[in-house]
Amino acid sequence: MLKYISKICLVIPAVFLLGSCWELDQEVLDGVTAEDIANSTNPQLIDVLKASAYSRIVGSWGGHNSIWSIHEVASDEMAIPQKGADWEDGGLWLRMHRHTWQPSDEAFNNSWNYCYTAVGEINNLIISYPDVVALNAELKVLRALVYLWLIDSFGNVPIITEASSGGNPTNNSRQEVFNFIESSIKENIDLLPKADTKTTLNYYSAQAILAKLYLNAEIYTGTAKWAEAEAAADEVIAGPYSLTTNFFSNFSTRNGGSTENILTLPYDQDNAGGFNLVQMTLHYLSQNTYNLQEQPWNGYASLEEFYNSFDDSDIRKSSFLEGPQFAADGSRLNDISAEANDPDGQPLTFTPEINQLAPNAYRQAGVRVGKFEFATGAASSLSNDYPLFRLADIILVKAEAAFRQGKTAAALTAVNQVRSRAGVAPLAAVTLDDLYNERGFEMFAEASRRTDQIRFGKFNQPWWEKGQSEPFRALFPIPLQQINANPSLVQNPGY
Amino acid sequence: MRNHLQKLKTLLLALTLIFSVSIVSNAQNRTVTGTVLDATLGDGVPGATVLIKGTTRGVATDLDGKFTIEVQPGDQILVISFIGYTTQEVEIGNQSNITVNLEEDIQSLQEAVVIGYGSQDKKEITSAVVGVKPEDFNRGNVSNPAQLLQGKVAGLSITRPGGSPNGATNIRLRGLSTFGANSSPLIVLDGVIGASIENVDPNDIQSIDVLKDGSAAAIYGARGSSGVILITTTKKANKDGRTAVSINTFGTMDQATNLIPTLSAEEFVARGGTDFGSNTDWREELISDAFSYTTNASVSGGFNNTNYMASVNWRDNQGIVNGVKNERLNTRLNISQGALDNKLRFNINLSFSNVDSEDINDGAFRYATLYNPTAPIFENTEDANNRFGGYFQRDLFDFYNPVALANQQKFIGETKTSLASYRVEYDIRPNLTVSAQYSQDRRNTLSGAFWSRQDFQVGFGAGGSAQRNTFDRQQKIFESTIRYEQDITDGLNMTLLGGVAMQSTKNQGFNARVRQYLFDLGWDNLGAGSIRLGNNTDVSSFANEDQLNSLFGRANFNYNNTYFFSASVRAETYSGFGANNQTGVFPALSAGADFTQIFDMGIFNQFKPRVSYGVTGNLPPSPTLSLGVFGNGNRIDIDGDPLTQNDVFVGIVQNSNPNQDLKWETKKEFNIGIDFGLWNDKVTGSMDYYTRNISDLLFNVPVATGAPNPFDPGRFNTASSTWVNLADLRAAGFEFALGVNGIDLGAVKWTPNINFTIYDKTQIQSLSAGELGFDELRFATPGSPGQNNNPIIYNRVGQTLGDIYGPRLLGLTDGGEYILSTTDPDEFEKLGNGLPKGEFGFANNFVYGQWNLSFFFRGAWGHDLYNSYRGFYENGDPASNTWNSVITDKTPTNPLVTSTPTFNSSYVEDASFVRLDNMELGYNFKTNSPNLNSFRVYFAAQNLFTITGYTGIDPEIRVTDLENGNGFTSSLSPGIERRNTYFQTRSFTLGVTVNFK
Repeated sequence: MLKYISKICLVIPAVFLLGSCWELDQEVLDGVTAEDIANSTNPQLIDVLKASAYSRIVGSWGGHNSIWSIHEVASDEMAIPQKGADWEDGGLWLRMHRHTWQPSDEAFNNSWNYCYTAVGEINNLIISYPDVVALNAELKVLRALVYLWLIDSFGNVPIITEASSGGNPTNNSRQEVFNFIESSIKENIDLLPKADTKTTLNYYSAQAILAKLYLNAEIYTGTAKWAEAEAAADEVIAGPYSLTTNFFSNFSTRNGGSTENILTLPYDQDNAGGFNLVQMTLHYLSQNTYNLQEQPWNGYASLEEFYNSFDDSDIRKSSFLEGPQFAADGSRLNDISAEANDPDGQPLTFTPEINQLAPNAYRQAGVRVGKFEFATGAASSLSNDYPLFRLADIILVKAEAAFRQGKTAAALTAVNQVRSRAGVAPLAAVTLDDLYNERGFEMFAEASRRTDQIRFGKFNQPWWEKGQSEPFRALFPIPLQQINANPSLVQNPGY
Repeated sequence: MRNHLQKLKTLLLALTLIFSVSIVSNAQNRTVTGTVLDATLGDGVPGATVLIKGTTRGVATDLDGKFTIEVQPGDQILVISFIGYTTQEVEIGNQSNITVNLEEDIQSLQEAVVIGYGSQDKKEITSAVVGVKPEDFNRGNVSNPAQLLQGKVAGLSITRPGGSPNGATNIRLRGLSTFGANSSPLIVLDGVIGASIENVDPNDIQSIDVLKDGSAAAIYGARGSSGVILITTTKKANKDGRTAVSINTFGTMDQATNLIPTLSAEEFVARGGTDFGSNTDWREELISDAFSYTTNASVSGGFNNTNYMASVNWRDNQGIVNGVKNERLNTRLNISQGALDNKLRFNINLSFSNVDSEDINDGAFRYATLYNPTAPIFENTEDANNRFGGYFQRDLFDFYNPVALANQQKFIGETKTSLASYRVEYDIRPNLTVSAQYSQDRRNTLSGAFWSRQDFQVGFGAGGSAQRNTFDRQQKIFESTIRYEQDITDGLNMTLLGGVAMQSTKNQGFNARVRQYLFDLGWDNLGAGSIRLGNNTDVSSFANEDQLNSLFGRANFNYNNTYFFSASVRAETYSGFGANNQTGVFPALSAGADFTQIFDMGIFNQFKPRVSYGVTGNLPPSPTLSLGVFGNGNRIDIDGDPLTQNDVFVGIVQNSNPNQDLKWETKKEFNIGIDFGLWNDKVTGSMDYYTRNISDLLFNVPVATGAPNPFDPGRFNTASSTWVNLADLRAAGFEFALGVNGIDLGAVKWTPNINFTIYDKTQIQSLSAGELGFDELRFATPGSPGQNNNPIIYNRVGQTLGDIYGPRLLGLTDGGEYILSTTDPDEFEKLGNGLPKGEFGFANNFVYGQWNLSFFFRGAWGHDLYNSYRGFYENGDPASNTWNSVITDKTPTNPLVTSTPTFNSSYVEDASFVRLDNMELGYNFKTNSPNLNSFRVYFAAQNLFTITGYTGIDPEIRVTDLENGNGFTSSLSPGIERRNTYFQTRSFTLGVTVNFK
C-alpha cells in the first residue's frame, strides 16, 4: 500500500528547477485504492467484497428516513404523529401520511441512493471479477432484488448494468425494468446454491423475488402473471423451510436460526448497525422498560383502525405494544409532562386511539411496533436480523395467486396454514378481502403494506387523517435531487 | 514605533554631530541655549537639528537634548527638526533659553509594509495591503492574535460569538471566497506559510499586515484565495549592549451578560408548566464571575551584530462556567546574527507553546436557559442517588439538568505547538541577495472526553464512557529566494525576486472510546471500560500526507517615486490535485502613480491611485479526494459463525467517487484604490473597490448514483457524490479607511481612526459544471425537537449566498395560531441573509499628559440572525410547557403563540449592532530611575455595551454554522444562532506594564 511521494529534494534550487522531482504522486496512508484492490492476492478478499455488496442493502433499510420508512408511513398501518414541536420535521412525515409528498422530500432521495449505490457497487464487482461465474450470478440476482424495490417504489428507473457506459442514464419503462429483473433471475438462478443460506441469496430467495415480481405484474406492466407467481411461490414452499411454532421467534434478537426466514438482513448492534426501530417507535420513557442505552424518539405508531382489525385471539396482535407501560423493575412509568388534556393522565399508556395526526398528538397515543424483540440493554441499533422474505409471506403469495386464478381451495388451504399458526380460527371460505387482511395481520411492519394496498386497489382510498389521493401517488416521485444531478431523468407522471 | 525611533535617533545623532562640526560660528553673535524635549515622554531628544531659518547654520542637540547656538542679528526663527517628529519653528525674539517640545510625527516615518517575501515602502505599494501596528491593536484580555485586529481593517471580518475562552475565531477577508475548502486567510508567521496561530502570543507581535487583494496574495498562489495575514514577531533590540526587560501583567474579571429573559418559576407554573416545587435560577447556578490572569515577560538586547529577543507569556483564562478554562504558555526566542560585515545574516525563530483547555458540554447553556425553573438541582431519593449522583433528573424528551450536565461530562485538550524556523541570507553583491529558509511547524493535540456513569444524557444506558484522541500536524517547508535590485536608468529602479519552495504536510491521529465502567476512571484508564465495540465506542486512526512544490517570481519597478508597477507569478504543483491537473499558475499585476509628484495637488501630499489584478487559488480540503479512496465498511464475518474469528474482516466502501480532473479553486480579483495623505499626512486614508470572480469551487456534488463515473471511465458511482470543481461566484465591495493624527483639543490630543466596508454580497452565478450541479443548495435545519427536515438556508443560483428562506408570518389568529404565507417549501420566500451589508470600526485615542484613553466601537449592519431560542421556546402551546419559555422584546404576548414552534419570518431578526468593543484608560508614571524606562498602569474593559434590536444571545455575525452536519459546508449556512451558544461575557482588566533598561 505504501507507494511513495517523490522524496523532498533538499538540494539547491537549480537542481529542483530541472524538474527531477516536480511530478508528485499522492500517497494514500489510511485507505485503499481500486489499484490496491486489483493487486491484492488475499484469497478471502473476494468473499469480503461480496459481503460488502450485501452490506449496502443491509445499510439504512431499518433506519428512520429510509425506504422502509416511506413504505410504512405511506401505508395505512403506520404513522408518525406530530407531538407539539416534536416530529414536525418540515411536514415530511405528515405529507407522507396524507399522500401529499413532494419530489424534493429527502426520504425519497435516501431510498434512491440506498438502491443505486448497491447497483454501482455490484457493477464494479462484476467488472472486477468477470470470470468468477457463481459470484457473477449471485451479484446479478442481488441487483435484481434491488430493482424489485426500485420498480415497486419509483417504477420507471434507469437500468444500469456492468455493460452500461458513458453519459447520464435515462429512464427505462416499468415494463423494461420488469423484463430486466425477470431475465436476471432466470439466467442466473440455476447457478445459485439450494442450501438454506439466510444472509446471502440462494435458489429459493431468487424464486421469492420472482414470486413478488409476478404477484405485482399487473401493477408493474398491466399484464397479470398469477400462474407464474404461484409457480415461483411453490418452488419456495418446496424448499427447506417451515413455519416456526412461535410466530415471534422470527423477529427475536437471536432469530438467525429461524426455519421460516428465507433471506434476512443480518443486523448486528456492533458490526452491522442501522436497524433503529427501537428508537423510532418507543416512547422516551420506554428507555426504562428495556434499560436501553439511549433515549427513544417516540415516533412511529400504528393506526387505530389497523390495530382494531386484528382479532383479539390473534397472537399476532402482540405485534403491537399497547396499554400500560412499566419500568424494568415492574414499577409503572409516569410521564410527568403528559399533556394536561390527555385522558390517560401521566401514567404511561399506549392507547390505540391517536387524538390527531398533527400538531398536538398526545405523546402516549398510538400503539407501537412490538413485533421485533427489543433486547434488554439494547443499543440504538438492534441485533435482530430483518426478514426480507419469509415462508409465511410466500404462502400468502401462493394463496393470493391461486385465488386470483380461481383456485379457491388451494388458496383456502394456504391461508389457513398461516392462520392456524397465529392461533386464529380457520376460514371456511376465502374472499379477496380476507387475503388482503391476512397479509396485513401477518406482514405488519415488514414493508409490505403499501405494495399490497396498491395491488388490492386500496392505496388511494381515504383513511384516518388522509383523504382520497390521486392515482399517480401509487408511484413515488423520482427524487428531485437525482433529477438535478442527472437532467436526463424524466419525472414520473403527475409530479 | 518608538523603538524604531530610538534606533534611528542614535544613528542620526552621529551623522548630525559630524555635520554640525562643519558649521562656522560667528564671533559677534549672542548665544542661545535650549532643550529639545519629546512632547509625550518629556525626555530630551538627542541629535535633533536646530537650524536658523533661511541659513545653513545649525547645531545638533546633545545626549540630553540640549543645544547651544550662536545667533546673528537678523536671525528670527529656529527650525527644530528630527526624523520621526513634526518639524517646529520657534521665534527667537529676546529669549536666551528656549525649550522646544517636539511632537512625534507618526506618518512621516514611512512604514515599511511587509508583503510576501519581503517588505516595501508604503509609498510604493500598488495593491490593497494594510499594516497594523501594536498601538492600534485591540485592548483588554486578548489571547488570540486574530482578535487584535477585530474591526481594525476594512474588509477583514473577525468574529467570535459568545464568550468562551476556548472559542474559535472566524476570520473572513472580503467575504466568503470558497464553499469550505479554506475559508480563513492564510497565516504567514515570520515567513512561515501556514503556521499555526498558536505559535505566537499577541504580546510578541511587532506588526500584522493584511494582503487584501488578489494581486498581493497571488505570490502565495494556490493558498491565497481567502487572503493572507502576515504576522511579524518582535525583534526589538538596543544596539548598545544594554538589555531591555519588559513585564506586562494583568488580571481580568469576566461576567456573563445579555442573558435572554425567561419565565420565573411562578410564571412558568401559571402558564401550565409542571411544578416540581422548587425555585431554581439555572443560569445563576451554572455561571459565576471568572478571574483570569496573564503575564508577559520579555528580555531583549543586542551587541555588535547580534540581536535577541526572548519572551515568556502565561495566560490563565477561566470561563464563566466552572469547568471551562484555557491555560496557555508561550515561549519564544528570536536571534539574529550577522557576519562578514553583516553580509551574511542568520535568523533563528523558535517558539513553543502549550495550551491546556477544558470544556463542558455546551448544551448546558441551552438547558440552563430552558430547564424547568421549579426543579431542584438535587433530590435526595434512592433513585436519584443511585442513578444520577443525587441530581434531579426526569425522563422527559430533551430534558437534562444543566448543572449535572456541566459536572458529569468533561472535555479536555492539551495542544503543544512548536515552530522552528532557520533562515540565512547572503549579500553576494550589495544589490544581490540569496536566502534559504527551513521551517518545521508541529502541532500535537491530545484530547479526552468523559461521560460519568451517572450522567443522564450519554452515560446512563452506556454505563459511563470515555474517549482519548490525538491529532498531530506537521509541516516542513524549505524555501529559497534570490533578490536583485538595480537602477536601470536614471530614476527607474527595478527589484526582482525569484524563489522556489517545497512543502510537505502530514496529519495523523487516533481515537479510542470505550464504555461501561465500574468506577468513573475516565480517559485515564480506557482499559477499565468493558465494552469496546458498538454504540458509543470507537477505535480508529487516520493519516494523510501531501506535498506542494512551488516556483515564484516578482518584479517591482519604481520610476522617480512617481510611477510604480509590480508583476508576480507563482506556479504550484500539488500532490492532491487530480492526475490530469497537477499544476496551477497564479499571475498578478498592479500599478500606481502618486499624482502629487506630477501635479500640484494643493493640500494633498499623497494621492496615489492604483489598480491591480491577481489570480489566486484554494487547495482541496483533503489531499486524497481525487482518488476515490475506499474506507472502512461493515465488519464482515464470512461464514456468519461468531465462534470462528479468522474469517472476520472489515469490509471496504468507497467514500466518494474518484475524479482525476480535480483541481484548485480559482479566484480572479480586480482592485482599484487610492491612498492619500493631506496636510503633510496629518490626515491619511485609503479607498478600495474590488470585484472578485470565483470559479471551479471544490464541492462534493451529488451524481447519478450507480451510473458510470464520467471522471473515472470504466467504473460506476458507488457513492452518491463526487468531488468536482464547479460553480461561479461573484462578490464586490468598497472599503474606506481614514485616520487623523493628533487633533489638538487644548491639552488633549485626539487621534481618531475610522474604517468601514460595504459589501456587495456574494452572488451565486452558477452552481454547476456541465451537467453536474444544482439549482440550489439547502442547508441547516433548526433541529430537534420537530424541526429536523426543514432546511432554512437556500443557496440559489442568481441569488446571494446564504439566503434564509421560509414561510412569512402574516399574523396570528385570535387564538394565537400562526397565519403563515405557505407551508410548501417551494413557495417559501427570502426572509433575510446572515451576511452583513457592511461593517465598521471606529477607534479613538486621547492623550492628556501622562494619561491616555482609548475606546473602540465596532459594528455591522444589514445582517440577519435566526434566533433559535425564540424559534423553539417562546410559544405557549401545551407541548412547549416541558421547557421554560423565553420572553424577549419581540415575543408576542397578547396573545401568546399557541401553534407548535415552526420556522417562520418572525424568528429572523435584523442583527445590526454597534458595540463598545473595548476601552482602555492608562497612566504613564514619570520615572527618574536610571533603570526604569517606563511604568504604566491601565484599566481596560471589553464588550461594555451593545446597541442592537436583536433579542438573542449575541448579534455578532455568524459566518459558519455550529450544527450544519458536514463541516465542509458550514460556511454555506451563515446567520444562525444556535441554542448551544456560549453566553456573552463582559470583561474588566487591570494591568501594569514595566519596562526596565
